[in-house]
Amino acid sequence: MIGRLRPGIVGGPNVRRFIIVVLTIAVLVMVFLPRTAHLVLQGIGQPFAEAVAIPLKGLASLDYAVREWWNHYVALQGIYERNRQLRQQIQILQGELNRYREQAQAAQRLAALLRFREHVPVPTVAARVIGRNASNWYQALILDKGQNDGVEKEMGVVTPAGIVGQIVKTTASTSIVLLITDPNLAVPAVIQRTRDEGLVQGIAHEQKVRMKYIPPLSAVKVGDMVVTSGLTGGFPRGLLIGEVLKVEKGPGDLFQTAWVVPSVDVQTLEEVLIILQARPQEVREMLETPLGSPGGMMTSP
Amino acid sequence: MKLLLYAGLIFLLVPIQTTILHSLSPFGIRPDLCLVAACLIGFWTGHVEGGAMGGLLGFVQDLFSGGTLWLNTVTKALVGFSMGVLIKHFANLTSQWIFFPVVIFSLISGMVFLVFARGAIELIGVVQHLSIMLVPQALLDGMLAVVANWALTRRIAQTDKL
Repeated sequence: MIGRLRPGIVGGPNVRRFIIVVLTIAVLVMVFLPRTAHLVLQGIGQPFAEAVAIPLKGLASLDYAVREWWNHYVALQGIYERNRQLRQQIQILQGELNRYREQAQAAQRLAALLRFREHVPVPTVAARVIGRNASNWYQALILDKGQNDGVEKEMGVVTPAGIVGQIVKTTASTSIVLLITDPNLAVPAVIQRTRDEGLVQGIAHEQKVRMKYIPPLSAVKVGDMVVTSGLTGGFPRGLLIGEVLKVEKGPGDLFQTAWVVPSVDVQTLEEVLIILQARPQEVREMLETPLGSPGGMMTSP
Repeated sequence: MKLLLYAGLIFLLVPIQTTILHSLSPFGIRPDLCLVAACLIGFWTGHVEGGAMGGLLGFVQDLFSGGTLWLNTVTKALVGFSMGVLIKHFANLTSQWIFFPVVIFSLISGMVFLVFARGAIELIGVVQHLSIMLVPQALLDGMLAVVANWALTRRIAQTDKL
């Protein structure tokens, strides 16, 4: 074998011993005290992430420019542009159709529920997708907006067609959104037609999601729309998640499970909207109202 | 020169992995550039630099990943360190043989991720993950390591001639 590089950077044996001891302690702390390690790493990581974000944004722009050039001038000029416009229109119309459905159903429900209005005006910020997850193990996107733009952890990410995922990490100028198709993200949801609640969770290696804990007597069927319930997760109520593809209930199962095709194609996303509040407005109001006061969570008799 | 190379790896490897590599990944499987780099650094410079650089690269990878903030840091540090230790005991290995340790380290690191990221304890799940992701990625990592190592060997041989 050809001669190896000399380990010149680490210095003499004492320095090397010191590095090994530091590395060992660091690894042990990370494994046995993950929360502490997370806080420390987050503090150290901010300047690192900022520095890495510069070449990342540069490469993302280059990648975007090359893809745009390829799609516009090499592969099917004109048809691509028309197709893109039509797809955008379909997405907007799907979103509108879903909103109208929600409005129609809301009008029929109990008057007490009306104060939980469907379309609470929520502030949003538009962000561009500048990268995909750094490993194969998570389904995530890197966005070009971060803490400087008011983005925080747990905020929801959407497109006009439906929900995309939730912010899990932020730096000053970037943020990471865990996609709805990732098994590590769960979003409370409701079947639009039957109003049965459940929990939507991603499936590994699949571009589908699963809605779990649907009541056993629910009349959920193929083709039903699944929307956010607005209970937690940074999403207001009534945002489209997807359409039921298949419903399952085994002989001994307590609940039904539905396989849902997400309304957003997360593989081809380029721009998204970040909802600038980690909790829905109605939940915030409930939490902010003092206990015992009228309208509070617990009104004393 | 070496410091410059390390700085380049730290600041460019993860951006390449998250942008350009996504468009070039066969069947949606991307090689883990940081793991390959940690292995190569461990192979060429020993366990201390392998561990330290592996940890740094893993840390940057963690910053731009949807998972916890220490998993890549620890696994990459251990991979770089183990590669250095391994090569200390098998000093006569020819550079093409790097394929096998890289594949093994990639598989082990993948299993660690499987437990922490997916919480998979069912055998069916493990088999599925092995066939769909772990093995293809490990083979891709191994092949990339051989190519990178071959290029590095040639470069160093040329420099030695001069």
